[in-house]
Amino acid sequence: MPVVTLYLDRLQRLVGKTNREKIISTLPFLGLDIEEQTDEYIRVEYSPNRPDYATDFGIAAGLQGLLGIKKGLAKLDVKRGQYQLKADQSVRKIRPYITAIVAKNGTLDDETIRQLITLQEDLHFGIGRNRKKSSIGIHDLDKIEFPLRYTTTAKEHRFVPLGSETENSISEILQNTEVGLQYGNLLEHAEVVPVILDAKGNTISFPPIINSALTTVSSSTKNLLVEVTATDKNTAEDTLAVVAATLQNAGFLLTSVQISGAGNTTPSLKTKKMSLGVELANKILGLKLPSSVISAALKKCRLDALPKKNKISCTIPRFRFDILGPMDLIEEVALGYGIENLKPTLPQSSAVGQKNIVTKQLDLLGKIMVGLGFTEALNSSLVSKNVQYDMINRDSFGFLQVVESKSQEHTILRDMLLPSMLDTLSRNVHEQFPQKLFEIGTVFSADDPIKEEISLCCISVHKDANYSEIKSILQSALKTGFNIECQTSTSTNFCFTKGKTADVIANNSKVGTIGEIDSAIVENFKIRMPVVAFEIKLSGLIFN
Amino acid sequence: MSQVLHPIEKKIINALKETEKLSTDELEKKTELSSDQIRRGIEWLKLKGLADVSESQETKHHLSSAGSEVLKGGLPERKLVNLLKDGPKTFDEAKQSLSESDFHAAIANAKRNDWITIEKGDSTTKISLKANDPSQSSEEKVLQEINQGNFDQNTLYHDKNQHEKLVGYFRLKKLGLIEEIVNKSKTISLTEKAKDIDTSQMDIAEIDVVAAVPATFVARTHPLKEVINEIREVFTSLGFSEVLGNFTQPSFWNFDALFTPQDHPAREMQDTFYIKDSTADKVATPSQIRQVARSHKLGWRYNWNIEEAKRMVLRTHTTCVTIKYLADQKPDEARIFSLGRVFRNEKVSYKHLAEFNQVEGIVVGKDVTLRDLMGLQQEFYKKMGLPKVKFWPTFFPYTEPSLQSMVYNERLGKWVELFGMGIFRHEVTKPLGITKPVLAWGGGIERIAMLKYGLDDVREFYNNNLGWLRTAIQCL
Repeated sequence: MPVVTLYLDRLQRLVGKTNREKIISTLPFLGLDIEEQTDEYIRVEYSPNRPDYATDFGIAAGLQGLLGIKKGLAKLDVKRGQYQLKADQSVRKIRPYITAIVAKNGTLDDETIRQLITLQEDLHFGIGRNRKKSSIGIHDLDKIEFPLRYTTTAKEHRFVPLGSETENSISEILQNTEVGLQYGNLLEHAEVVPVILDAKGNTISFPPIINSALTTVSSSTKNLLVEVTATDKNTAEDTLAVVAATLQNAGFLLTSVQISGAGNTTPSLKTKKMSLGVELANKILGLKLPSSVISAALKKCRLDALPKKNKISCTIPRFRFDILGPMDLIEEVALGYGIENLKPTLPQSSAVGQKNIVTKQLDLLGKIMVGLGFTEALNSSLVSKNVQYDMINRDSFGFLQVVESKSQEHTILRDMLLPSMLDTLSRNVHEQFPQKLFEIGTVFSADDPIKEEISLCCISVHKDANYSEIKSILQSALKTGFNIECQTSTSTNFCFTKGKTADVIANNSKVGTIGEIDSAIVENFKIRMPVVAFEIKLSGLIFN
Repeated sequence: MSQVLHPIEKKIINALKETEKLSTDELEKKTELSSDQIRRGIEWLKLKGLADVSESQETKHHLSSAGSEVLKGGLPERKLVNLLKDGPKTFDEAKQSLSESDFHAAIANAKRNDWITIEKGDSTTKISLKANDPSQSSEEKVLQEINQGNFDQNTLYHDKNQHEKLVGYFRLKKLGLIEEIVNKSKTISLTEKAKDIDTSQMDIAEIDVVAAVPATFVARTHPLKEVINEIREVFTSLGFSEVLGNFTQPSFWNFDALFTPQDHPAREMQDTFYIKDSTADKVATPSQIRQVARSHKLGWRYNWNIEEAKRMVLRTHTTCVTIKYLADQKPDEARIFSLGRVFRNEKVSYKHLAEFNQVEGIVVGKDVTLRDLMGLQQEFYKKMGLPKVKFWPTFFPYTEPSLQSMVYNERLGKWVELFGMGIFRHEVTKPLGITKPVLAWGGGIERIAMLKYGLDDVREFYNNNLGWLRTAIQCL
């Protein structure tokens, strides 16, 4: 989850009439997890559904609500402007949607710029799906000559990209810059790429990769142009709404940009109306609040709320696109009312709890194995090919593999428990003997699509370990726990010493193998004592 | 006090009754025990206050082979003296009789001993004796004493008058004429208490009930399994029944049915384990698929793709099991829980595992509330030995409202984030035909188990370190 750094002096100034302790103790009630705290700053983790909390401006607005300093909706005040932006038909096939807004007469100190960059990055990552769905460009308005054109160009097109001093072609940017390499795949198969050009023909932006150096924003910038390009119109406007609200909070005056062409229109960024039933809210929360209290709670969450009989008419700012329906509003009621004011209760209904039959049988088996002197081990379902195949001298084919595991130790789904048990022994050769271990775990095999069964593996190592010992354990476990008689019939198995291994037969079918582990395998695991073991499938044997 | 002695101890006591002080070597010979048995026996007796052990160090000196020769032939300065007894000699004459190296040492030492006078003439230098028969030098005294075996180094250090002799001793040592051997030895004697013991009067059937014994390890259930079993008990006692499901699931139940859009970051390979080349043909009923597709199109505005929903994953949560149960059974009232392994494609560290256990509780009922959900949490934690609980808002993609619980841990002295909870979103329940509110909560079991066993590294649960498995104790 994304993290934002809040400088406490600055935050306190933004929030207004309150003290630092109150601010810090209220942060968690906005759903912000405190990650780190010093005298100077505090780092909080915010949820991806609240990108407006990516800056201290948004968090300050939230705090003002809960602390009762400012309540209700902060209306987005957008003046109608004469700025024009036209999209060409050619963008339809690449990145069809564009939207924009102008923000004027603001001041940008270094920290505000840093906050805006964080917001931009988090929006790119979250709602923008790594710039695939939407990406944002923030520009110095005074460097731009209107009207703007959103169009496409060949990869030979040249301009000076942000952070560079020389002209580069689009191809060069894609091949030689960090952002080009990171996001270039979004335009991989396109012959032409999207660009925004101004009236003088200057390149303003090459979305979703990079802005031009011409419009670089600095602490002396007073007026901004924000543009968002996207593959989906709603996502474009969602993204713009968050930036617009943040800039207004930061003291900028918003002015609209008239957008047209290729199905694009000027964004309205209008509020959304939603109705919340008083009864539903009380029913879900387990409260009996009058509509006035519910309305007040919603206002503390910076929404507008007007009680009308048994319903509340809610007005939701455009950037709160996380609010999809009444349940979302009910959460706002809970937050505004105060989670700490909700007293826990127990449900009136009652039920009789039952253990699952499979769990019961496995519990019983576990107890019997412990009674027989075996200690329980737990290994991963995801194992390495080395342990599962190479170390036990087994040819590796037909195994179930996971895609792009971050760990070499966890790449394939185990089809038997024994290899991990041998691995466990090899890591415990310095511990006191005898060592007797068992594991009950799931094994996997390719089927339609995947079959999962539960197995028992039991292993004994000490200087006198032998076949009779382990066979006796096997028979005792199944007989005592489940009244199952099992037999052993001569067989061969790659894991076990020839002549000292058998199939385990129960109810006339093979359920597993038993024997003395082959000395070469024991050697592979650097175990210096005889090892005897059995592994049986429990599915279909002690439960169905 | 009655005292039970090991046969080894008895043998040692008896030997020491005969001879008051014995070294370990002597004891070994006398008792016919091995050196290891003697060592252990002495340790036991010492612990019981029956034996005193004094460690001593003895330094012995003897002449080296060069030293023996010097004793016979005399030190160079003595050789010079003997030469001069015939009358004064020039340097050249003396050099002829003594070797070159001996000559220089002889001149220097004889001068220091004040045995000779040297007169420098015009062309030659003459050496003559001061007294005709000079007395023994300190070096000579030391050599003689060592040879006779009555050299005592300790008195040299402590007697001021013997300073000269000490200097002589060091000089001889430097010349390699004497060698020293340091012998360390333990001398064992009985304490007064032990002297009264009559070993023959002791009952031979008695054993030493006080002595340490080798450790025996109990066979046991895995410590993490103990916590899992405890959680199962708590859920059952709160009226919940367990539902089971596979670890491998079609993406449909792990993601789509929970309203997770198909381009959501959580569904990427870097977070979720996809099983290579594995897809499920039939993931759900046609109507379930239709409704879920519609809910995604409306809620997230994109073209939902059934093929994506067929891809098999290792479940990232147990919710896939509970949601399928609810979708198939559509109960108006239910208390169920699902517990087991879940998987995340994460780098393994002290904080994170790629595979861990999760439990999830579900309550369905027409009148269940958020406060009930909080109450159930509190009850659950209380039964698990965690009485201090508080709640904070949080976000989960498929519940609304959502809360997280914080539990106070005394050992760490801080609040620890545990289970998350919430009410299933309508976007999740409606398409699947679930009409009553569904309370859900859950989280990782290892986190609770870490608190219970006082562990700071979650990997310990899967290391199968026998030393730990055999001795781990719950501290909560």
